Amino acid sequence: MNNNKPKIGIYELTGCAGDALLILDCENELLDIFQAADIQSFLMAKSDNIDGDLDVALVEGSVTTEREIEELKDIRNRAKIVVAIGLCATVGGLQGRFTDSEEWGENLKKVYGDVEMTHTKAVQSKPIDAYINVDFYLPGCPIGKEQFLNFFTRLVGGSPPEKYPHPVCVSCKYNENDCLLNRGLPCLGPLTADGCGSVCINHNLPCVGCWGPVEGANLTSAFYLLKDKGFDVEYIKKVMANYSGTKITTFFDQLKKEKQ
Amino acid sequence: MKRISVDHLARVEGNGGISATIDGNTVTEVKFTIYEGPRLIEKLTVGRTPEEDVSMSPRICAICSISHRNAVIRAMENALSVKVPPKVTLLRELMHMGEMIESHSLHVYYLALPDYVGFPNAIAMASKYKLEVEIALEMKNFGNHIMKVIGGRYIHGENPVIGGFGKFPTQEELGWIKSRAIQFMPFVFKTVNLFCELDYPDCPEDETVYACCDPGDGKYGFWGDEILLSTGEKFFRDDYKELTNEFVVSHSYAKRSRYNGKPYSVGALARVNVIGERLKKESGKMYKKYFDKRWKRNPLFHNAAQALEILYSFERIPELVDEILQYREDIPIVKYRKKEGKGTGLVEAPRGLLIHHHEIREGLVHQVDIVTPTAQNAEDIERYCFIAAQKLLDEGKEDQIRDRMELVVRAFDPCISCSAHLAEVKKAPSDDWKNKINEIMKGGSPIFIGIGNPDRSDDGVGIQLALELKKCGSVDVLLESEIENDENLWVDETDRPLLFMDAVDFREKAGKVTLLPMNNVLNNIALSHKFLPIVSGLMTYRQLKNAYMLGIQPESIDNGHEISTPVRKAMNDVLTILSNLNSSGELNEF
Repeated sequence: MNNNKPKIGIYELTGCAGDALLILDCENELLDIFQAADIQSFLMAKSDNIDGDLDVALVEGSVTTEREIEELKDIRNRAKIVVAIGLCATVGGLQGRFTDSEEWGENLKKVYGDVEMTHTKAVQSKPIDAYINVDFYLPGCPIGKEQFLNFFTRLVGGSPPEKYPHPVCVSCKYNENDCLLNRGLPCLGPLTADGCGSVCINHNLPCVGCWGPVEGANLTSAFYLLKDKGFDVEYIKKVMANYSGTKITTFFDQLKKEKQ
Repeated sequence: MKRISVDHLARVEGNGGISATIDGNTVTEVKFTIYEGPRLIEKLTVGRTPEEDVSMSPRICAICSISHRNAVIRAMENALSVKVPPKVTLLRELMHMGEMIESHSLHVYYLALPDYVGFPNAIAMASKYKLEVEIALEMKNFGNHIMKVIGGRYIHGENPVIGGFGKFPTQEELGWIKSRAIQFMPFVFKTVNLFCELDYPDCPEDETVYACCDPGDGKYGFWGDEILLSTGEKFFRDDYKELTNEFVVSHSYAKRSRYNGKPYSVGALARVNVIGERLKKESGKMYKKYFDKRWKRNPLFHNAAQALEILYSFERIPELVDEILQYREDIPIVKYRKKEGKGTGLVEAPRGLLIHHHEIREGLVHQVDIVTPTAQNAEDIERYCFIAAQKLLDEGKEDQIRDRMELVVRAFDPCISCSAHLAEVKKAPSDDWKNKINEIMKGGSPIFIGIGNPDRSDDGVGIQLALELKKCGSVDVLLESEIENDENLWVDETDRPLLFMDAVDFREKAGKVTLLPMNNVLNNIALSHKFLPIVSGLMTYRQLKNAYMLGIQPESIDNGHEISTPVRKAMNDVLTILSNLNSSGELNEF
């Protein structure tokens, strides 16, 4: 094994495993990935995994059990750089939507009844930065192939990865789509981090927001825009929350502040 | 009895494990554990619009995202009475074929095959099987390509929606898919030959019930409106709970299912067993060539069945493309007005029957129930692993148990990552039963039941124990003769643990005490016992899960009334422990 290669671990917490699967789906580049880096741990792809010191840990999934909190802290201790990959790790995922602990507790009970779990205790779903410091974020549900490969190449080459600070609308304009908001559809493009290449709008469908909120999005403006288009306030709140996980609370706090 | 809610959320790609605990000559426990935490997906979409639900609920699983998408759309369209034109249905089927090819080829070549040809993983296997590994990757890529063209993305594509598609693929794109499918055929035939001719071990083998969708019209396929069982029984889609009866076990956030109290299997092998006779053309020929009675009893043939389905999917693609191309016009998304309704969508995900049930009220999602294939297979996975472990132990091949259990789990294809690792064989200490009693106590103070025949020397030890316990003042003690008509036990369905005590032949040294879940006694052919049919008929499944057998190895069960010295000694040990239970249900001390 070449010791100069960066040591990389890919880890899955609770989620759909879509981000790890997407890495496997880089069929043509997969061998290169395995050659450019020393993949120490990747449960989905191989069985001879080592839990040692790492240069980079890519973590997918949100934290939903006590066992995962311990696992995550252990990963942080072993890795120089920790990257949150995918919606679950970056914002807590769909399952991060129950931001109120009481509501979460009630729903947990509704689903699992009174059976006491012996193997590990459940906790409210949170993104990984609720427990550890995260160096980089790679959003998406699932992450995009192109974005991942760009990110990965820079990382193994020793450069800081480039940020994608723009919303979906930027790709959408490049793709010369008609603005769906103008057609009265509830498109979340202006609020959502880009990386998918505006795939939904390319298919004449409104953006559902699955990359999570983009930094610096003008939430207030988008909120009133949708309201002006005739959407119900409750609906707007819900649709914005679907893919924003626990980070939606900052979103709405900001809205409240601006309202005052 | 408390009723366990059947709402559920179950998915298992990611962290899972299987473990077997061995006490002397007996496997006392097999657990298929899922370490993933709860996501409560079924509750997340409540209050959302049907469109949001269609986008969100497939996020349960990346590998089966198309199956989830098709299932939720079918459920919604049933609920909201949406009728889509044939072009839409055909495209959805084509998309489904993409997922089957992607998932099956990844599984058979990359996850299953290395075990059979003696390599630790597919990349190492490439040294000897370079061509296979490379073409298999291309085949997987082709499946992904189909999903991307129709679904919009490899994973969680948003293009398929209630009423149709946001955008239809072009004729060129469809034509390319057809010609590429035809090019793959020689390799597909090789795949079938390879996986149908693999030397599958004959352990574990046992009967089970298989379940899958009935596509109707005597056809093979991956969805339908009815569930068909290998027993010949049928359920309409909305009556799926007759089959699934979900419940929760304490070692997993994935729910479990049983049919009439027994485990059942879903997946490629279930489909081939139940409707394989309907395969036509080349896949029909291959079915006739390879299918035999071993496929009905041995879960390892899942891999062969998957290979057969790869062929079926490749044969179906050109047919589908030709049919789709007859409809030139792209159709706008079908609109609907209905704001109330309930609907169930049944599809066959690569790893088995997937059920989505969604209820809409006032235009918003009111209730969701999703039953995933791995949740349904979990019980059979545990059972077959138990059978394999016990058989290998009997044959003195304890060192093979770990690998064989992995092979079994992997054959069920329970989503990628949990099948790739983590089998464990544990050795129980010789007095393990003492710890186990402590554990059982956590579920309430047990009811003791003495079993056996006092006229056959050591076989009377269970009855003797019960009588002695009664003498010590314990009230919760019953004899074999008293249990059948005990209302507290069966009518009120007590949820306290039931601890049966008996002489059991574990092929150990006389006097060895072994404690194991009743479920494992029922699965262990060597331990089957005359009273068991009565008990298993009376017990609900929930009780069965909370029932245990404390067995003492007899020295002799010849006619006579004397209990042998080692058995008597063991009996006194057990008595000391059991009679020391104080009123709070805790053990005073050992």
